[in-house]
Amino acid sequence: MGELTVETRESGDVTLVYPAGFINAHTVRLFETEIKRALEQKRFKLVVNCSALSYIASAGLGALMGVIEEIRQNGGDLRLANLNETVLNIFEILGFHHLYRIFSTEMEAIRSFRPAADTPQ
Amino acid sequence: MSRSKPERRHPQPTLALEVPSQTTYLAMIRELTRHMAALAGFDEAVAGRLALAVDEAATNTIEHAYGGAPDRLVQLRFDDGADELRVEIIDTGATVDPRKVPSVDLDRYVKQRRTGGLGVHLMEKIMDSVTFRRAQGRNICCLVKRKDGSAGTP
Repeated sequence: MGELTVETRESGDVTLVYPAGFINAHTVRLFETEIKRALEQKRFKLVVNCSALSYIASAGLGALMGVIEEIRQNGGDLRLANLNETVLNIFEILGFHHLYRIFSTEMEAIRSFRPAADTPQ
Repeated sequence: MSRSKPERRHPQPTLALEVPSQTTYLAMIRELTRHMAALAGFDEAVAGRLALAVDEAATNTIEHAYGGAPDRLVQLRFDDGADELRVEIIDTGATVDPRKVPSVDLDRYVKQRRTGGLGVHLMEKIMDSVTFRRAQGRNICCLVKRKDGSAGTP
Protein backbone atom coordinates (compact mmCIF):
# COMPACT_ATOMS: atom_id res chain seq x y z
CA MET A 1 0.00 0.00 0.00
CA GLY A 2 1.28 3.46 -0.87
CA GLU A 3 1.26 6.44 1.43
CA LEU A 4 -2.35 7.35 0.72
CA THR A 5 -5.00 6.76 -1.86
CA VAL A 6 -8.52 8.15 -1.60
CA GLU A 7 -11.42 6.71 -3.56
CA THR A 8 -14.99 7.93 -3.46
CA ARG A 9 -18.28 6.24 -4.29
CA GLU A 10 -21.89 7.23 -4.11
CA SER A 11 -24.71 5.44 -2.35
CA GLY A 12 -27.83 7.44 -3.11
CA ASP A 13 -27.29 10.88 -1.67
CA VAL A 14 -24.43 9.68 0.56
CA THR A 15 -20.85 10.04 -0.60
CA LEU A 16 -18.51 7.33 0.61
CA VAL A 17 -14.86 8.24 1.04
CA TYR A 18 -12.21 5.53 1.31
CA PRO A 19 -8.81 6.73 2.50
CA ALA A 20 -6.25 3.91 2.33
CA GLY A 21 -2.84 4.30 3.92
CA PHE A 22 -2.03 7.07 6.34
CA ILE A 23 -2.94 10.73 6.68
CA ASN A 24 -0.28 13.05 7.97
CA ALA A 25 1.07 16.48 6.99
CA HIS A 26 2.54 14.94 3.84
CA THR A 27 -0.59 13.27 2.52
CA VAL A 28 -3.41 15.39 3.91
CA ARG A 29 -3.89 17.53 0.79
CA LEU A 30 -5.13 14.56 -1.19
CA PHE A 31 -7.67 13.73 1.51
CA GLU A 32 -8.83 17.35 1.70
CA THR A 33 -9.15 17.55 -2.07
CA GLU A 34 -11.46 14.56 -2.23
CA ILE A 35 -13.66 15.84 0.60
CA LYS A 36 -13.89 19.28 -0.97
CA ARG A 37 -14.70 17.80 -4.35
CA ALA A 38 -17.82 16.29 -2.82
CA LEU A 39 -18.78 19.59 -1.22
CA GLU A 40 -18.33 21.43 -4.52
CA GLN A 41 -20.84 19.00 -5.96
CA LYS A 42 -23.22 19.96 -3.15
CA ARG A 43 -23.00 16.54 -1.62
CA PHE A 44 -23.07 17.14 2.10
CA LYS A 45 -23.75 13.66 3.43
CA LEU A 46 -20.43 11.93 3.76
CA VAL A 47 -19.24 8.68 5.28
CA VAL A 48 -15.51 8.24 5.65
CA ASN A 49 -14.84 4.52 5.69
CA CYS A 50 -11.58 4.11 7.60
CA SER A 51 -11.18 0.35 7.20
CA ALA A 52 -7.93 0.82 5.27
CA LEU A 53 -6.73 3.86 7.20
CA SER A 54 -3.79 2.82 9.33
CA TYR A 55 -2.98 6.14 10.97
CA ILE A 56 -4.08 9.75 11.18
CA ALA A 57 -2.13 12.70 12.58
CA SER A 58 -3.47 16.09 13.58
CA ALA A 59 -3.22 17.31 10.00
CA GLY A 60 -5.94 14.86 9.04
CA LEU A 61 -8.05 15.69 12.08
CA GLY A 62 -7.68 19.36 11.21
CA ALA A 63 -8.91 18.61 7.70
CA LEU A 64 -12.05 17.03 9.16
CA MET A 65 -12.58 20.00 11.45
CA GLY A 66 -12.08 22.43 8.61
CA VAL A 67 -15.11 21.20 6.71
CA ILE A 68 -17.59 20.02 9.32
CA GLU A 69 -19.20 23.40 9.96
CA GLU A 70 -19.86 23.98 6.25
CA ILE A 71 -21.26 20.47 5.92
CA ARG A 72 -23.64 20.86 8.85
CA GLN A 73 -24.70 24.34 7.81
CA ASN A 74 -25.85 22.74 4.59
CA GLY A 75 -27.92 20.14 6.36
CA GLY A 76 -25.43 17.33 6.03
CA ASP A 77 -22.92 15.56 8.20
CA LEU A 78 -19.61 13.76 8.01
CA ARG A 79 -19.71 10.40 9.74
CA LEU A 80 -17.04 7.80 10.21
CA ALA A 81 -17.02 4.04 10.00
CA ASN A 82 -14.65 1.10 10.53
CA LEU A 83 -12.03 2.91 12.58
CA ASN A 84 -9.26 0.63 13.70
CA GLU A 85 -8.11 0.75 17.31
CA THR A 86 -5.19 3.07 16.57
CA VAL A 87 -7.27 5.62 14.72
CA LEU A 88 -10.14 5.44 17.21
CA ASN A 89 -7.70 6.02 20.04
CA ILE A 90 -6.38 9.16 18.37
CA PHE A 91 -9.94 10.41 17.96
CA GLU A 92 -10.61 9.75 21.62
CA ILE A 93 -7.44 11.48 22.80
CA LEU A 94 -8.63 14.69 21.18
CA GLY A 95 -12.29 14.26 22.03
CA PHE A 96 -13.24 13.92 18.38
CA HIS A 97 -15.66 11.12 19.22
CA HIS A 98 -17.86 13.85 20.72
CA LEU A 99 -17.77 15.86 17.50
CA TYR A 100 -18.37 13.09 14.99
CA ARG A 101 -20.69 10.14 14.90
CA ILE A 102 -18.70 6.95 14.60
CA PHE A 103 -20.13 3.64 13.41
CA SER A 104 -18.83 0.09 13.42
CA THR A 105 -19.77 -0.53 9.82
CA GLU A 106 -20.25 1.46 6.65
CA MET A 107 -23.82 0.21 6.30
CA GLU A 108 -24.74 1.52 9.74
CA ALA A 109 -23.26 4.89 8.85
CA ILE A 110 -25.19 5.03 5.56
CA ARG A 111 -28.42 3.99 7.25
CA SER A 112 -27.97 6.69 9.88
CA PHE A 113 -28.66 9.25 7.17
CA ARG A 114 -32.04 7.70 6.43
CA PRO A 115 -34.67 9.55 8.48
CA ALA A 116 -36.28 6.48 10.03
CA ALA A 117 -32.98 5.18 11.26
CA ASP A 118 -31.55 8.49 12.32
CA THR A 119 -31.50 7.79 16.00
CA PRO A 120 -28.62 8.74 18.27
CA GLN A 121 -26.19 5.97 19.07
CA MET B 1 -2.98 -0.52 32.71
CA SER B 2 -2.81 -1.47 29.06
CA ARG B 3 0.96 -1.69 28.94
CA SER B 4 2.50 -5.10 29.30
CA LYS B 5 5.42 -5.36 31.64
CA PRO B 6 8.56 -4.44 29.70
CA GLU B 7 11.39 -6.85 29.65
CA ARG B 8 14.36 -5.84 31.73
CA ARG B 9 17.06 -4.68 29.40
CA HIS B 10 19.97 -2.36 29.41
CA PRO B 11 19.20 1.18 28.34
CA GLN B 12 20.13 1.80 24.75
CA PRO B 13 22.78 4.35 23.91
CA THR B 14 21.52 7.63 22.53
CA LEU B 15 20.58 7.53 18.86
CA ALA B 16 20.86 10.78 16.92
CA LEU B 17 20.14 11.41 13.29
CA GLU B 18 19.25 14.22 10.95
CA VAL B 19 16.60 14.19 8.27
CA PRO B 20 15.73 16.80 5.64
CA SER B 21 12.95 19.21 6.54
CA GLN B 22 10.44 17.56 4.21
CA THR B 23 7.14 16.02 5.14
CA THR B 24 7.91 12.97 3.04
CA TYR B 25 10.26 11.89 5.86
CA LEU B 26 7.53 11.99 8.51
CA ALA B 27 6.54 8.39 7.87
CA MET B 28 10.14 7.30 8.41
CA ILE B 29 10.35 9.33 11.62
CA ARG B 30 7.17 7.68 12.83
CA GLU B 31 8.42 4.18 12.09
CA LEU B 32 11.77 4.87 13.72
CA THR B 33 10.09 6.25 16.83
CA ARG B 34 7.80 3.27 17.06
CA HIS B 35 10.81 0.98 16.83
CA MET B 36 12.78 2.90 19.47
CA ALA B 37 9.78 2.91 21.80
CA ALA B 38 9.45 -0.86 21.40
CA LEU B 39 13.13 -1.29 22.17
CA ALA B 40 12.59 0.82 25.28
CA GLY B 41 9.95 -1.64 26.44
CA PHE B 42 6.71 0.11 25.57
CA ASP B 43 3.93 -2.00 24.18
CA GLU B 44 2.65 -1.60 20.65
CA ALA B 45 -0.22 0.76 21.49
CA VAL B 46 1.92 3.12 23.55
CA ALA B 47 4.72 2.98 20.99
CA GLY B 48 2.20 4.01 18.33
CA ARG B 49 1.11 7.01 20.36
CA LEU B 50 4.71 8.05 21.02
CA ALA B 51 5.30 7.87 17.29
CA LEU B 52 2.33 10.18 16.75
CA ALA B 53 3.72 12.69 19.27
CA VAL B 54 7.11 12.76 17.55
CA ASP B 55 5.42 13.02 14.14
CA GLU B 56 3.56 16.08 15.43
CA ALA B 57 6.72 17.69 16.81
CA ALA B 58 8.61 17.10 13.57
CA THR B 59 5.67 18.44 11.58
CA ASN B 60 5.69 21.63 13.66
CA THR B 61 9.40 22.03 13.00
CA ILE B 62 9.06 21.58 9.25
CA GLU B 63 5.97 23.73 8.83
CA HIS B 64 6.52 26.46 11.42
CA ALA B 65 10.17 26.72 12.49
CA TYR B 66 11.39 26.21 8.92
CA GLY B 67 8.28 27.64 7.28
CA GLY B 68 8.15 24.77 4.80
CA ALA B 69 11.71 25.27 3.53
CA PRO B 70 12.77 21.82 2.27
CA ASP B 71 16.55 22.30 2.50
CA ARG B 72 17.02 22.41 6.27
CA LEU B 73 17.65 19.64 8.77
CA VAL B 74 15.60 18.22 11.59
CA GLN B 75 17.66 16.49 14.24
CA LEU B 76 16.21 13.70 16.34
CA ARG B 77 17.79 12.36 19.51
CA PHE B 78 16.46 9.28 21.28
CA ASP B 79 17.71 8.65 24.78
CA ASP B 80 16.47 5.41 26.33
CA GLY B 81 17.09 5.88 30.03
CA ALA B 82 16.36 3.53 32.87
CA ASP B 83 13.12 5.26 33.81
CA GLU B 84 12.04 7.11 30.73
CA LEU B 85 12.35 7.49 26.99
CA ARG B 86 13.38 10.99 26.00
CA VAL B 87 13.09 12.26 22.43
CA GLU B 88 14.42 15.62 21.36
CA ILE B 89 13.44 17.28 18.10
CA ILE B 90 15.91 20.01 17.27
CA ASP B 91 15.97 22.66 14.58
CA THR B 92 17.79 25.87 13.73
CA GLY B 93 14.76 27.67 12.38
CA ALA B 94 12.64 30.51 13.64
CA THR B 95 11.62 30.45 17.24
CA VAL B 96 8.01 29.43 17.49
CA ASP B 97 6.53 29.53 20.95
CA PRO B 98 4.05 26.67 21.06
CA ARG B 99 2.84 27.88 24.45
CA LYS B 100 1.18 30.72 22.61
CA VAL B 101 -1.07 28.19 20.95
CA PRO B 102 -4.38 28.57 22.77
CA SER B 103 -5.76 25.52 24.51
CA VAL B 104 -7.91 23.47 22.22
CA ASP B 105 -11.65 24.05 22.42
CA LEU B 106 -13.11 21.79 19.77
CA ASP B 107 -16.38 23.68 19.44
CA ARG B 108 -14.57 26.97 18.97
CA TYR B 109 -12.22 25.35 16.46
CA VAL B 110 -15.14 24.11 14.43
CA LYS B 111 -16.89 27.47 14.49
CA GLN B 112 -13.73 29.21 13.38
CA ARG B 113 -12.92 26.50 10.83
CA ARG B 114 -9.46 26.23 12.25
CA THR B 115 -7.39 23.33 11.06
CA GLY B 116 -4.14 23.73 12.97
CA GLY B 117 -2.94 23.84 16.54
CA LEU B 118 -3.97 20.33 17.40
CA GLY B 119 -0.44 18.94 17.30
CA VAL B 120 0.82 20.44 20.54
CA HIS B 121 -2.38 19.43 22.25
CA LEU B 122 -1.90 15.84 21.11
CA MET B 123 1.73 15.83 22.23
CA GLU B 124 0.74 17.00 25.69
CA LYS B 125 -1.99 14.40 25.96
CA ILE B 126 0.35 11.57 24.99
CA MET B 127 3.60 12.46 26.74
CA ASP B 128 4.40 12.87 30.43
CA SER B 129 6.41 15.98 29.68
CA VAL B 130 6.64 18.35 26.71
CA THR B 131 9.11 21.22 26.94
CA PHE B 132 10.45 23.77 24.48
CA ARG B 133 13.64 25.73 24.88
CA ARG B 134 15.99 27.81 22.80
CA ALA B 135 19.73 27.23 23.19
CA GLN B 136 22.68 28.20 21.02
CA GLY B 137 20.51 29.17 18.11
CA ARG B 138 18.55 25.95 18.21
CA ASN B 139 14.97 25.15 19.13
CA ILE B 140 14.75 22.02 21.24
CA CYS B 141 11.46 20.27 21.77
CA CYS B 142 11.86 17.59 24.41
CA LEU B 143 9.30 14.81 24.79
CA VAL B 144 9.49 12.44 27.75
CA LYS B 145 7.52 9.29 28.47
CA ARG B 146 8.07 7.50 31.74
CA LYS B 147 8.31 3.73 31.78
CA ASP B 148 6.45 3.11 35.01
CA GLY B 149 3.17 4.24 33.51
CA SER B 150 2.38 6.14 36.69
CA ALA B 151 1.70 9.45 35.02
CA GLY B 152 0.38 10.74 31.80
CA THR B 153 -2.53 9.61 29.75
CA PRO B 154 -3.48 7.77 27.82
